[in-house]
Amino acid sequence: MIESLWGALPEALQTTIVIVAKIVAIVVPLMLTVAYYTLAERKVIGFMQVRIGPNRVGPRGLLQPIADAVKLMFKEIILPTNANRFLFVGAPLLSIAPALAAWAVIPFNETWVLADIDASLLYILALTSFGVYGVIIAGWASNSKYALLGAMRSAAQMVAYEIAMGFALVGVLLAGGSLNLGDIVQAQSGSILHWFWLPLFPLMMVYLISGVAETNRAPFDVAEGESEIVAGFHVEYSGMTFAVFFLAEYANMILIAALTSLLFFGGWLSPFQGVPLLGEPSLFWFLLKTAFFMFCFLWFRATFPRYRYDQIMRLGWKVFIPITIVWLLVVGLAVVVELPWWFD
Amino acid sequence: MGFDKLVFYVFAAVLVFAALRVITCRNPVHAVFYLVLAFLNSAGLWLLLEAEFLAMTLVLVYVGAVMVLFLFVVMMLDINVAEMRAGMRRFAPVGVGIGILLVVEMALIVRSSAFSPEKFGNLVRSPADYSNTKALGSVLYTEHVYAFEIAAVILVLAIIAAIALTLRKRPKTRYQDPARQVSVRREDRVRLVDVPSEKRG
Amino acid sequence: MLENYLPILIFLAIGLAVGGGAMAAGFLLGPHRPDAEKNSPYECGFEAFEDARMKFDVRYYLVAILFIIFDLEIAFLFPWAVVLGEIGMFGFLAMVLFLGILVVGFIYEWKKGALEWE
Repeated sequence: MIESLWGALPEALQTTIVIVAKIVAIVVPLMLTVAYYTLAERKVIGFMQVRIGPNRVGPRGLLQPIADAVKLMFKEIILPTNANRFLFVGAPLLSIAPALAAWAVIPFNETWVLADIDASLLYILALTSFGVYGVIIAGWASNSKYALLGAMRSAAQMVAYEIAMGFALVGVLLAGGSLNLGDIVQAQSGSILHWFWLPLFPLMMVYLISGVAETNRAPFDVAEGESEIVAGFHVEYSGMTFAVFFLAEYANMILIAALTSLLFFGGWLSPFQGVPLLGEPSLFWFLLKTAFFMFCFLWFRATFPRYRYDQIMRLGWKVFIPITIVWLLVVGLAVVVELPWWFD
Repeated sequence: MGFDKLVFYVFAAVLVFAALRVITCRNPVHAVFYLVLAFLNSAGLWLLLEAEFLAMTLVLVYVGAVMVLFLFVVMMLDINVAEMRAGMRRFAPVGVGIGILLVVEMALIVRSSAFSPEKFGNLVRSPADYSNTKALGSVLYTEHVYAFEIAAVILVLAIIAAIALTLRKRPKTRYQDPARQVSVRREDRVRLVDVPSEKRG
Repeated sequence: MLENYLPILIFLAIGLAVGGGAMAAGFLLGPHRPDAEKNSPYECGFEAFEDARMKFDVRYYLVAILFIIFDLEIAFLFPWAVVLGEIGMFGFLAMVLFLGILVVGFIYEWKKGALEWE
């Protein structure tokens, strides 16, 4: 019955339905992860500071994110006077859409990838560069000094670290010989020592730190800097408009964690390759690695004091760019002479 | 009509609309956003032509970098629209002249045989695993290496020009230099003076 | 090749819909009791005394220009990285020269103090 109904649909509609179903299968778990990531953040930082963290809503505080979401839903959305309404409402959309759409090219294992395009790495870099618009527009449309200051800081910072990030990605391309994320993971197969974290160690560090800076997370959160400019670019946002920025930020953090595990830590490949059963590549390994880097984001926030703005800019321009340029040439030479073990 | 044709017409229509709005918008910030929209749609058109690498680079460089600069500039300038419109009558003939010139030039190029379909033989859709980044790379750094190095020189020129035009030292700004603060020694700050004690009378 | 891009187009639309839907829900469910004080931009409890869209240090423009140049450099590096295995030593040396010329520019900008924030 269902099958005959399905068969009666035109082919184009069938494809579209399949694609939409796949997208829902990515977005819904992602949104749930974001919700529980916020709880994990408060719990983890709580424990690191010898506190308990949220524990009132539901057993052990497990319903806290749901309560937060419902609360935000019923809050008034304030449109500040003199704000440019169209852009004010549009800015959160411009930050959430790229943060979600980047997941289209993330491979979860050998076969699970929504859009297997050749230039997937380039696509991700292009989308990341688009993310800066949400911040700038939010800051400008709010017509508030704090928001504008936060937006300018954040834009200059994201721009500086995007370069370091781009150079680090070029290093991965060199080693993997392809722009496709799936091929890059396949190029790392062998053992834990074949993964790119070892030959590309400096680039891996640069990528991870730039990832933290790109998402405006502590210790690089001068754009929000709640002790000086209150909340930076989203100071005027309330209720669901704020929640959308929040979703985008956390989705981006998870994206960076997933990319780090794909590009430098073998994605779905097992660290015990060759061992029976445990050595099988699977989705589990990919999620485990991603979860570890997500934990790192929280760990950094609990550990490091905030950088000063001039220190952030110095780190981006004067430390990371020279390191990446030098290491790119080293890796390039290694590829040309086909250095055994990794590049033969 | 195939689906890709439909996509083409949607992209093309939005592109033309956005381009028109860029020049008709009153608010310069809105004009910049319409220009971003125009770039995104032309990236879509390039994708339809299977110019994957160029489409992505268009978004990366123009949308991600050049338009950010435009926004910085336009947002922070006090633009008086009335003042700008004052010169309209005077500049209109020049603008129209340049417009006509451009249209004639484009018509000459588009109508010339260099772009006729026969010139390219049979156009075939590339297979799914075709990488035009690879195709581009294999000629850019070998056959066209000279032009490639010239590009480096032009970029350096741009760096130098940008610095020469915008870098101003402001001697009046006061700022902390933590390195100097930390490296201060006792002798730099404290001077011990021998003060003879008053005679007790 | 093109059929691979269809999911991306749909994903972008769904991304916009997720954000738009969430905000629409907020507008529908939340209260609307605006008043002049509540809607005034946040400024430490003071009345806002001038237009917030102020002029910025020219340094920000310089950063943006330098960013464009480095972004272009990255665009040149991408195809190179993908084909380096095939074009070999010649391609490598071509890029060494390219980066060498640009490093000269980078050193110039460093020495001129264009990267200082004070």
